Amino acid sequence: MPDDTVTEATTAAAAIAVPPEHHARNEIFAFAIGVAGWLVPGLGHALQKMWGRALGCFLTVGALVFLGVAMRGNLFSSEGGDAFGMLGYVADLGTGSFYFAARALETQGSDVAHAEGDYGTRFLAAAGVLNLLAALHAYEAARGRKA
Amino acid sequence: MIAPTDFHLSHFQAMTLFALLISIAFGFLSRRRTSERVKYIIWSLFLFLLIGVGIGWAMFPFSR
Repeated sequence: MPDDTVTEATTAAAAIAVPPEHHARNEIFAFAIGVAGWLVPGLGHALQKMWGRALGCFLTVGALVFLGVAMRGNLFSSEGGDAFGMLGYVADLGTGSFYFAARALETQGSDVAHAEGDYGTRFLAAAGVLNLLAALHAYEAARGRKA
Repeated sequence: MIAPTDFHLSHFQAMTLFALLISIAFGFLSRRRTSERVKYIIWSLFLFLLIGVGIGWAMFPFSR
Protein backbone atom coordinates (compact mmCIF):
# COMPACT_ATOMS: atom_id res chain seq x y z
CA MET A 1 0.00 0.00 0.00
CA PRO A 2 1.44 3.45 -0.89
CA ASP A 3 2.50 5.76 2.00
CA ASP A 4 0.02 8.52 1.08
CA THR A 5 -2.92 6.17 1.42
CA VAL A 6 -1.68 5.01 4.81
CA THR A 7 -1.35 8.64 6.00
CA GLU A 8 -4.82 9.56 4.73
CA ALA A 9 -6.34 6.51 6.39
CA THR A 10 -4.57 7.33 9.68
CA THR A 11 -5.73 10.99 9.57
CA ALA A 12 -9.31 9.94 8.81
CA ALA A 13 -9.26 7.45 11.67
CA ALA A 14 -7.88 10.10 14.03
CA ALA A 15 -10.61 12.56 12.95
CA ILE A 16 -13.26 9.96 13.71
CA ALA A 17 -11.68 9.14 17.06
CA VAL A 18 -11.81 12.80 18.30
CA PRO A 19 -15.00 13.40 20.28
CA PRO A 20 -17.38 16.07 18.90
CA GLU A 21 -17.21 18.22 22.06
CA HIS A 22 -13.46 18.52 21.52
CA HIS A 23 -14.11 19.83 17.98
CA ALA A 24 -16.63 22.35 19.33
CA ARG A 25 -14.18 23.52 22.00
CA ASN A 26 -11.45 23.96 19.38
CA GLU A 27 -13.84 25.92 17.19
CA ILE A 28 -14.78 28.25 20.07
CA PHE A 29 -11.10 28.73 20.92
CA ALA A 30 -10.29 29.54 17.29
CA PHE A 31 -13.17 32.01 17.13
CA ALA A 32 -11.95 33.71 20.33
CA ILE A 33 -8.48 33.97 18.81
CA GLY A 34 -9.96 35.60 15.70
CA VAL A 35 -11.95 38.12 17.75
CA ALA A 36 -8.87 38.91 19.89
CA GLY A 37 -6.86 39.47 16.69
CA TRP A 38 -9.52 41.83 15.42
CA LEU A 39 -9.81 43.81 18.69
CA VAL A 40 -6.06 44.29 19.13
CA PRO A 41 -3.99 43.88 15.95
CA GLY A 42 -1.51 41.03 16.41
CA LEU A 43 -3.07 39.66 19.61
CA GLY A 44 -4.52 36.62 17.82
CA HIS A 45 -1.02 35.61 16.73
CA ALA A 46 0.57 36.57 20.07
CA LEU A 47 -1.79 34.22 21.92
CA GLN A 48 -0.48 31.41 19.70
CA LYS A 49 3.12 32.45 20.36
CA MET A 50 3.65 33.61 16.76
CA TRP A 51 5.64 36.60 17.96
CA GLY A 52 7.03 37.77 14.62
CA ARG A 53 3.64 37.84 12.97
CA ALA A 54 2.07 39.48 16.03
CA LEU A 55 4.65 42.25 16.03
CA GLY A 56 4.44 42.66 12.24
CA CYS A 57 0.63 43.01 12.33
CA PHE A 58 0.64 45.37 15.30
CA LEU A 59 3.28 47.67 13.86
CA THR A 60 2.03 47.80 10.27
CA VAL A 61 -1.66 48.29 11.20
CA GLY A 62 -0.65 50.81 13.87
CA ALA A 63 1.56 52.73 11.44
CA LEU A 64 -1.17 52.80 8.78
CA VAL A 65 -3.71 54.14 11.29
CA PHE A 66 -1.30 56.73 12.69
CA LEU A 67 -0.27 57.94 9.22
CA GLY A 68 -3.90 57.97 8.05
CA VAL A 69 -4.84 60.19 10.98
CA ALA A 70 -1.75 62.36 10.51
CA MET A 71 -2.74 62.94 6.88
CA ARG A 72 -6.23 63.83 8.11
CA GLY A 73 -7.99 61.00 6.33
CA ASN A 74 -11.73 60.50 6.61
CA LEU A 75 -12.64 58.18 9.47
CA PHE A 76 -16.15 56.94 8.66
CA SER A 77 -18.83 56.70 11.32
CA SER A 78 -22.00 54.59 11.51
CA GLU A 79 -23.99 57.66 10.44
CA GLY A 80 -22.45 57.60 6.98
CA GLY A 81 -25.81 57.31 5.24
CA ASP A 82 -24.98 55.88 1.82
CA ALA A 83 -23.62 52.44 0.96
CA PHE A 84 -20.08 53.69 0.39
CA GLY A 85 -20.07 55.38 3.77
CA MET A 86 -21.19 52.16 5.41
CA LEU A 87 -18.56 50.18 3.49
CA GLY A 88 -15.92 52.67 4.65
CA TYR A 89 -17.17 52.33 8.22
CA VAL A 90 -16.86 48.53 8.08
CA ALA A 91 -13.34 48.84 6.67
CA ASP A 92 -12.32 51.39 9.32
CA LEU A 93 -13.87 49.32 12.09
CA GLY A 94 -11.64 46.44 10.96
CA THR A 95 -8.81 48.00 12.98
CA GLY A 96 -10.70 47.09 16.18
CA SER A 97 -9.60 49.14 19.15
CA PHE A 98 -7.38 51.28 16.92
CA TYR A 99 -10.55 52.75 15.39
CA PHE A 100 -11.35 54.43 18.70
CA ALA A 101 -7.73 55.49 19.14
CA ALA A 102 -7.88 57.10 15.70
CA ARG A 103 -11.11 58.85 16.65
CA ALA A 104 -9.42 60.24 19.74
CA LEU A 105 -6.33 61.31 17.79
CA GLU A 106 -8.17 63.00 14.92
CA THR A 107 -9.21 66.05 16.89
CA GLN A 108 -9.20 68.41 13.89
CA GLY A 109 -11.43 66.23 11.74
CA SER A 110 -10.73 65.03 8.21
CA ASP A 111 -9.52 67.16 5.30
CA VAL A 112 -10.16 65.36 2.03
CA ALA A 113 -9.99 68.56 0.00
CA HIS A 114 -6.27 67.84 -0.37
CA ALA A 115 -4.61 64.75 -1.82
CA GLU A 116 -3.05 63.92 1.57
CA GLY A 117 -6.45 63.59 3.19
CA ASP A 118 -7.56 61.32 0.39
CA TYR A 119 -4.45 59.17 0.87
CA GLY A 120 -5.13 59.19 4.60
CA THR A 121 -8.62 57.78 4.00
CA ARG A 122 -7.08 54.92 1.99
CA PHE A 123 -4.47 54.29 4.70
CA LEU A 124 -7.18 53.97 7.34
CA ALA A 125 -9.35 51.66 5.23
CA ALA A 126 -6.34 49.53 4.24
CA ALA A 127 -5.35 49.21 7.91
CA GLY A 128 -8.82 47.85 8.71
CA VAL A 129 -8.91 45.37 5.86
CA LEU A 130 -5.35 44.25 6.62
CA ASN A 131 -6.25 43.64 10.25
CA LEU A 132 -9.30 41.62 9.25
CA LEU A 133 -7.03 39.51 7.03
CA ALA A 134 -4.59 39.03 9.91
CA ALA A 135 -7.43 38.07 12.28
CA LEU A 136 -8.68 35.53 9.75
CA HIS A 137 -5.15 34.17 9.42
CA ALA A 138 -4.90 33.79 13.21
CA TYR A 139 -8.30 32.06 13.26
CA GLU A 140 -7.22 29.59 10.58
CA ALA A 141 -3.95 28.92 12.41
CA ALA A 142 -5.88 28.24 15.64
CA ARG A 143 -8.06 25.73 13.77
CA GLY A 144 -4.91 23.87 12.83
CA ARG A 145 -4.71 24.88 9.21
CA LYS A 146 -1.22 25.39 7.79
CA ALA A 147 -0.20 29.00 8.46
CA MET B 1 -3.04 64.08 23.87
CA ILE B 2 -0.69 63.70 20.91
CA ALA B 3 -2.34 65.07 17.79
CA PRO B 4 -0.31 64.22 14.68
CA THR B 5 -0.66 67.29 12.50
CA ASP B 6 1.32 69.07 9.78
CA PHE B 7 2.32 65.84 8.09
CA HIS B 8 2.96 66.45 4.42
CA LEU B 9 3.90 63.84 1.84
CA SER B 10 4.13 63.92 -1.93
CA HIS B 11 2.08 61.48 -4.00
CA PHE B 12 5.11 59.27 -4.57
CA GLN B 13 6.13 59.31 -0.90
CA ALA B 14 2.60 58.38 0.19
CA MET B 15 2.44 55.56 -2.36
CA THR B 16 5.88 54.24 -1.35
CA LEU B 17 5.02 54.32 2.34
CA PHE B 18 1.73 52.55 1.69
CA ALA B 19 3.42 49.92 -0.49
CA LEU B 20 6.15 49.35 2.09
CA LEU B 21 3.75 48.84 5.00
CA ILE B 22 1.45 46.53 3.06
CA SER B 23 4.42 44.55 1.73
CA ILE B 24 5.80 44.10 5.26
CA ALA B 25 2.41 42.91 6.54
CA PHE B 26 1.98 40.46 3.64
CA GLY B 27 5.54 39.22 4.06
CA PHE B 28 5.06 38.50 7.77
CA LEU B 29 1.69 36.80 7.23
CA SER B 30 2.57 34.64 4.26
CA ARG B 31 6.14 33.53 4.97
CA ARG B 32 7.75 31.87 7.99
CA ARG B 33 11.49 32.18 7.57
CA THR B 34 13.19 35.56 7.83
CA SER B 35 15.09 35.22 4.54
CA GLU B 36 11.87 34.30 2.71
CA ARG B 37 10.08 37.23 4.32
CA VAL B 38 12.77 39.70 3.25
CA LYS B 39 12.70 38.38 -0.32
CA TYR B 40 8.91 38.56 -0.42
CA ILE B 41 8.83 42.10 1.00
CA ILE B 42 11.39 43.40 -1.49
CA TRP B 43 9.69 41.71 -4.45
CA SER B 44 6.22 42.86 -3.39
CA LEU B 45 7.41 46.44 -2.82
CA PHE B 46 9.09 46.48 -6.23
CA LEU B 47 5.91 45.25 -7.94
CA PHE B 48 3.73 47.73 -6.02
CA LEU B 49 5.93 50.62 -7.17
CA LEU B 50 6.31 49.35 -10.72
CA ILE B 51 2.56 48.87 -11.21
CA GLY B 52 1.73 52.12 -9.40
CA VAL B 53 4.08 54.19 -11.52
CA GLY B 54 3.00 52.25 -14.61
CA ILE B 55 -0.67 53.03 -14.04
CA GLY B 56 0.18 56.67 -13.29
CA TRP B 57 2.19 56.87 -16.51
CA ALA B 58 -0.64 55.24 -18.51
CA MET B 59 -3.16 57.75 -17.11
CA PHE B 60 -0.99 60.78 -17.84
CA PRO B 61 -2.41 61.48 -21.36
CA PHE B 62 -5.94 61.66 -19.90
CA SER B 63 -5.02 64.09 -17.13
CA ARG B 64 -5.00 67.16 -19.37
